[in-house]
Amino acid sequence: MQTQKRTVRFVPSLISLFFLIFFTERLAAQQTKPLINSTLKGQVLDSITKEPLPGALVHIEGTTHSVSTDEEGSFGFVTGQKFPYTLEVSYIGYEKKKIIVSESKIEILLTPGFNQLNDVVVVGYTTQQRKNLIGSVTKVNPAESKDIPAGGFDAQLQGKVSGVQISSNTGVPGEAVNIRLRGATSINASNDPLYVIDGVFLNTNSLQTVNTGGKATSPIADINPADIESIEVLKDAEATALYGSRGANGVIIITTKRGNFNQKPKVAFNFSQGIAKAAKLWELTTGPEHATLVNEYYRNIGQPEPFRPVSDVVNGVAGRGLPAEQQTYDRLGEAFRTAALTNADLSISGGSTDTRYYIGGGYNRQESILKPISFDRLSFKVNLDQKISERVQIGTSNTIGRTGRNQARAGDGPQGGLLQAALHTPTYLSPYNDQGVLVGRAGFDNLTLLLENYDVSSTSLRYIGNIYADIQLSSDLKFRSTFSLDYNNYDESEYWNNLLIAGSPNGLATSAVGQSTTWINEQTLTYRKKINQRHDVGVLIGNTLQGSTLKRTSATGRGFASNDFKLISSAATTTSSQDWEKYNLASFFGRIDYAFDDKYLIDFSLRADGSSRFGSADPWGYFPAVGAAWRIKRENFLKTLAYLDDLKIRASYGSTGNQNGIGAFAARRLWSGVGSSYQGVPGIAPEQLANRELRWERTDQLNIGFDATLFKQALDISFNWYRKYTKDGLLPVTLAATTGYDSYTSNAAEISNKGFEFALVSRNIRKTDFSWQTSFNIARNVNKIEKLENPLNYGSRDLILFQEGHPLYSFWVYNQLYVDPQTGDVVYEDVNGDGRITTADRKIMGSIWPDFYGGLTNNLTFKGFDATIFFVFSYGNEIYNHNRFFGEAGGARDAARVIFASNLDRWQQPGDITDVPRSDGVNVNNYKDGGSRWLEDGSYLRLRSLTIGYTLPKHITDRWHLDRLRVYLQGNNLFTWTKYTGLDPEAAASSDPNEQGIDLGTPPQPRSFQLGINLTL
Amino acid sequence: MNRLKNIAFIVFIMTTASCNKFLDVEPKASISGDNIIVDETSANAALNGVYSALRTYYSVDFQSIAYLSGDNVQWTGSQSQVQEFINHQVNAENATITSTWKEIYVAVNRANQVIKNVNELAENVISDDVRRRIAGEAYFIRALAYFDLARTWGGVPLITEPTASPTDNAGVMRSSLADTYNLVLADLNQAEELLQETTNRFQATKKTVWALKARYFLYRGDWQQAVDYASRLIIDQTNYSLLSPYYAFFADGVTGTRESVFEIFYNANELNPHRGQWQPQQNGGTRQWAPNTTFVNLVNDPTTGGSRSALVAKDNQNRWYGNLYYRSPATDPTYVIRIAELYLIRAEAYAQLGKLEEAMADLNAVRNRAGLTPTTTSTRDNVLLAIENERRLEFGLEAHRWFDLVRTGRAQTVLNISDANRLLMPLPAEQILVDKALEQNPGY
Repeated sequence: MQTQKRTVRFVPSLISLFFLIFFTERLAAQQTKPLINSTLKGQVLDSITKEPLPGALVHIEGTTHSVSTDEEGSFGFVTGQKFPYTLEVSYIGYEKKKIIVSESKIEILLTPGFNQLNDVVVVGYTTQQRKNLIGSVTKVNPAESKDIPAGGFDAQLQGKVSGVQISSNTGVPGEAVNIRLRGATSINASNDPLYVIDGVFLNTNSLQTVNTGGKATSPIADINPADIESIEVLKDAEATALYGSRGANGVIIITTKRGNFNQKPKVAFNFSQGIAKAAKLWELTTGPEHATLVNEYYRNIGQPEPFRPVSDVVNGVAGRGLPAEQQTYDRLGEAFRTAALTNADLSISGGSTDTRYYIGGGYNRQESILKPISFDRLSFKVNLDQKISERVQIGTSNTIGRTGRNQARAGDGPQGGLLQAALHTPTYLSPYNDQGVLVGRAGFDNLTLLLENYDVSSTSLRYIGNIYADIQLSSDLKFRSTFSLDYNNYDESEYWNNLLIAGSPNGLATSAVGQSTTWINEQTLTYRKKINQRHDVGVLIGNTLQGSTLKRTSATGRGFASNDFKLISSAATTTSSQDWEKYNLASFFGRIDYAFDDKYLIDFSLRADGSSRFGSADPWGYFPAVGAAWRIKRENFLKTLAYLDDLKIRASYGSTGNQNGIGAFAARRLWSGVGSSYQGVPGIAPEQLANRELRWERTDQLNIGFDATLFKQALDISFNWYRKYTKDGLLPVTLAATTGYDSYTSNAAEISNKGFEFALVSRNIRKTDFSWQTSFNIARNVNKIEKLENPLNYGSRDLILFQEGHPLYSFWVYNQLYVDPQTGDVVYEDVNGDGRITTADRKIMGSIWPDFYGGLTNNLTFKGFDATIFFVFSYGNEIYNHNRFFGEAGGARDAARVIFASNLDRWQQPGDITDVPRSDGVNVNNYKDGGSRWLEDGSYLRLRSLTIGYTLPKHITDRWHLDRLRVYLQGNNLFTWTKYTGLDPEAAASSDPNEQGIDLGTPPQPRSFQLGINLTL
Repeated sequence: MNRLKNIAFIVFIMTTASCNKFLDVEPKASISGDNIIVDETSANAALNGVYSALRTYYSVDFQSIAYLSGDNVQWTGSQSQVQEFINHQVNAENATITSTWKEIYVAVNRANQVIKNVNELAENVISDDVRRRIAGEAYFIRALAYFDLARTWGGVPLITEPTASPTDNAGVMRSSLADTYNLVLADLNQAEELLQETTNRFQATKKTVWALKARYFLYRGDWQQAVDYASRLIIDQTNYSLLSPYYAFFADGVTGTRESVFEIFYNANELNPHRGQWQPQQNGGTRQWAPNTTFVNLVNDPTTGGSRSALVAKDNQNRWYGNLYYRSPATDPTYVIRIAELYLIRAEAYAQLGKLEEAMADLNAVRNRAGLTPTTTSTRDNVLLAIENERRLEFGLEAHRWFDLVRTGRAQTVLNISDANRLLMPLPAEQILVDKALEQNPGY
């Protein structure tokens, strides 16, 4: 009750804010008495083609006056300024031009530029020209990657940004990808970067509750990549500190498309259709091979072979028939398919003198190669800006999306597990029992029944939007206020009928609705002034209030009269539950920057964040940052160096914080009623111990780098070296069980990340008819746990260990040295030398961290043709092939598991040299849980996409009254070069960030082909 | 212009006011505070919380240690940690060992919380009858928890005060086995004094305490006391009796029959996941573990199993599965103490005291109920062996066989275990790491 009142308290201030906007507008109208001193008319044209440039920005220097050119490239001013004055003309993709005008009717020619230095880059709460950047920021043009079939734009960014490591863990579209920017800083708090879309801080926590085998859906997939204009990745402390508590893992700023003022309506239509198929599937033993291996196991342990003639009865048990008599049943072929991919989007954008708009709609449908999984998204986008007066502009950005998913358990878990049924069921077992009835084998579901009866789906309704008002208080001072909302309604249901294990004997239905709401109110005041043409000073202050609520209600029904009844209301027994969580954040921030002569740049910023998660004792954290840059090229001693176009050295140091990932009430002592009732009478039980000292996790980061442009802008080079050190790492500290508690949340870990990033863009050929550009990036990150009192285990069979002195996500295994050629037994490394192999001999061998990773893109154009060849690579990372662990148990799992074909290489007789031992049982010696035999090199080089396009000549499209028409063919994941014996070196069974790198029952990312068109009118 | 700036400034201040209140968000799903036991209602609720902890450790984990380590159950799934019990090669990392240890101490802490706070409540907020009952039940649960700890691991850290901060109750050394059992007895005596002599099969009463005392004295070799306490329930035939046929205490969805002295209650909201481990896929289970061939042959043999053959059934692939836990929704009770056990406790204690006639009478009461002919055997050792074999089948899928064989010193012979250290389970490896005061059992 009380909390509601508090929220309400902010509403009056918001209302007053909007009064202010209109009030200001009236004031402005009263104050500006039009005084006409000059009238200027002109036209902006391309200097080469002499084509008009609509939407170019024309600005009178030293004033707030600016206009955009119309569709004829024309513009006009009626102004109080007297001739002569200086015009600044800019247009994306062209070099900015300053021109002094002394009379009306002028023609301004802009030269197309490769010069990225003047590119506008969106940084924290403002924009900057690239040449003036102090922080480490990478701008991505999403056009190149937006056609890669993936649910969200995050997966499409893979290999595009140096220092951003992205793994698409499954072939299920729209599931979460693992994304790490300059390593990982936290064990318990989130390691995901902060996503800011048009100023809205995005919720990236999946609302999924149904079990899909460990993976979770990605809320980022709710956004249509086609609506994105640009993506900026903020990496160092200087760039991220203004996001304070949210910035420790980097910030990804997404700017969506908007119209231009004075632009005639432009219609863009894109359509593509494609197919996807697994590049390869697992190789399994046949029925006779399986039986042979099982017999061998029983011989090894001195028991009768089960695959013996049926008539041979031992201890009352009949034989199963000789190995050669066994059948082989192919289940993989039944489960996998050639999947269909469809994408269509349509947008209209344009604007008048005072209004600009962008309206877009999109439809995307992707089938998984694994039946019956599919993903579809329907999205709408409306962006609108309106100038109310010369001083006031208001606007809004809105994204509405509906994402639907057919889901299935493609991961761990016996009940309903698709790959348990399709892959892990022994091939010799018939899907039918003696009576000819379909039955599940090996404790798993029957695949055919599963595929026919799977009924798990979810729908995500998402609204992301904001309204803003910009008020130009004076020519130097601007006030901006925004109110943003990210609302997600996630509705999921599952129905298991009595033909499936989960639904036996009478059916089971679950329905859950989750709602997450985040509202943000933000004010900023920016001041920028140029003094004597050489001193450039900027000041920014602002505040943010944020409230986030998560609500969930779910119901379960058991026992249905027949399989035709599916709603919970028809169930014999029903149970339900409700969850609620809320946290608030309040922030104040400021920045001062100063540039002297565009040569020496320095800035200082500070953010204070208060979070309700830390309780009322001390919720505040302070995050300062300082940065400096020196554009050496502008010094006299380099001015003469002709091949060097620009050289800038940068350094920054600062702090950012983290509080995501811990419970909203982590600092409090809690008592819970959940699960504490007895005999249907309510109960209460201790839930959590208090930690009143709980405080912000903080990361200090030092970044040193340089940017250079060479050879008449043919080559851009960017290099960064960084060191991040995280203190007060949030962690569930394990307690002695004698306390009666598992753990409590504390600031107990320290983690470091060190590394470098290198990126280059080389414009090899720049002719009108022929161009070739190469982009390459590579990065290295060394992660290390600097302080952790007790090691932490994660993953199946404790495969992952977090231990002081080692990286996060390290694999903890028994090191198999070799298979003794005489005995066929595995010899493990006896780490502690006590002559026995015990847990004390498990050791850390590698981690999921690559030594280096990156991407290589080549773009070619020849007349109307264009081609993009895009590779991603990762070197030195390990992956645990958990599928093979189960499938390579040497016959000891008998009828309970499939046997992989690789097991046929086992030791059979003295002298055999192999790394696959003789079978001696499950988890005894040779097939020990956590053996290093299944830990593999996950390095890969992948041809992520290859695109060939053709744009029809202008004279043809003109005849059809089209602006542009391009057709293209794109192939994705065409080749992967890897030593990994599984299907996909990026696979991970779980979305739990601490359980990455374990491949179990994960469908691979498919190879796909698409044919598409891009059309603009 | 100045007015504009002023307005902007005021708005700025307004929106940022009262920040610290804004940052004080109260939970709804849980309640926050240092103590919530303040009156009769909250004390009763907290006692239910103690039972719910008992329910958690008694549903699958603790029971599986006892029967998987025996010789009735085979493993058919993929988790090798299950096989470790069957092979008597339990590792200190074993997940069931870790979770059981933790779950029992959760019950202990909750019981401590109730015992301490209920005793401190003022007289005007709770009646003395209710205070005595609640405290008595909490003492009983704590006694059962330490009894289970002792028979699984030996002497353990003895915690008798609730945990209020992360440093409380950590770093406590293990007590001796004798001291651990002494605490069990002390708690049972407390409970016996506080509780009323009523019949309740789902909550502890004085009679439940007597039943556990009978078992306690059997484990401690105090035969006469075992006979005395078992007799107190056996003579109470209006409330407790051997139901015939055998399956009458569990078949057809019954709960709280006269067979039952103490069973743990489950309903659709308080599910018992136990059935999932036993039932075959056609019934929505995983059949991770199943009765082994020897056990199936024994219960199906009319001379040894009788009506206990209802403990097993065949699935649609001709495989045997255990059918004691079968209900859907999964509401099968956990049978902690049945009257049959008190007959067999008394039989064994009589036999140890040399009263073979009386021993045979109690043993044959149980056999008779299963539809078997009386045993005719003469020597003390043979009677004890007959009782041992009877217990194997009578409690075939309940948490007895392993503890019985360890208790009588027969485990190594019967289960073919060469290393005597294996008779105690290892302390969880994780706990040894976290709590430096803990000492591992020898041999692990």
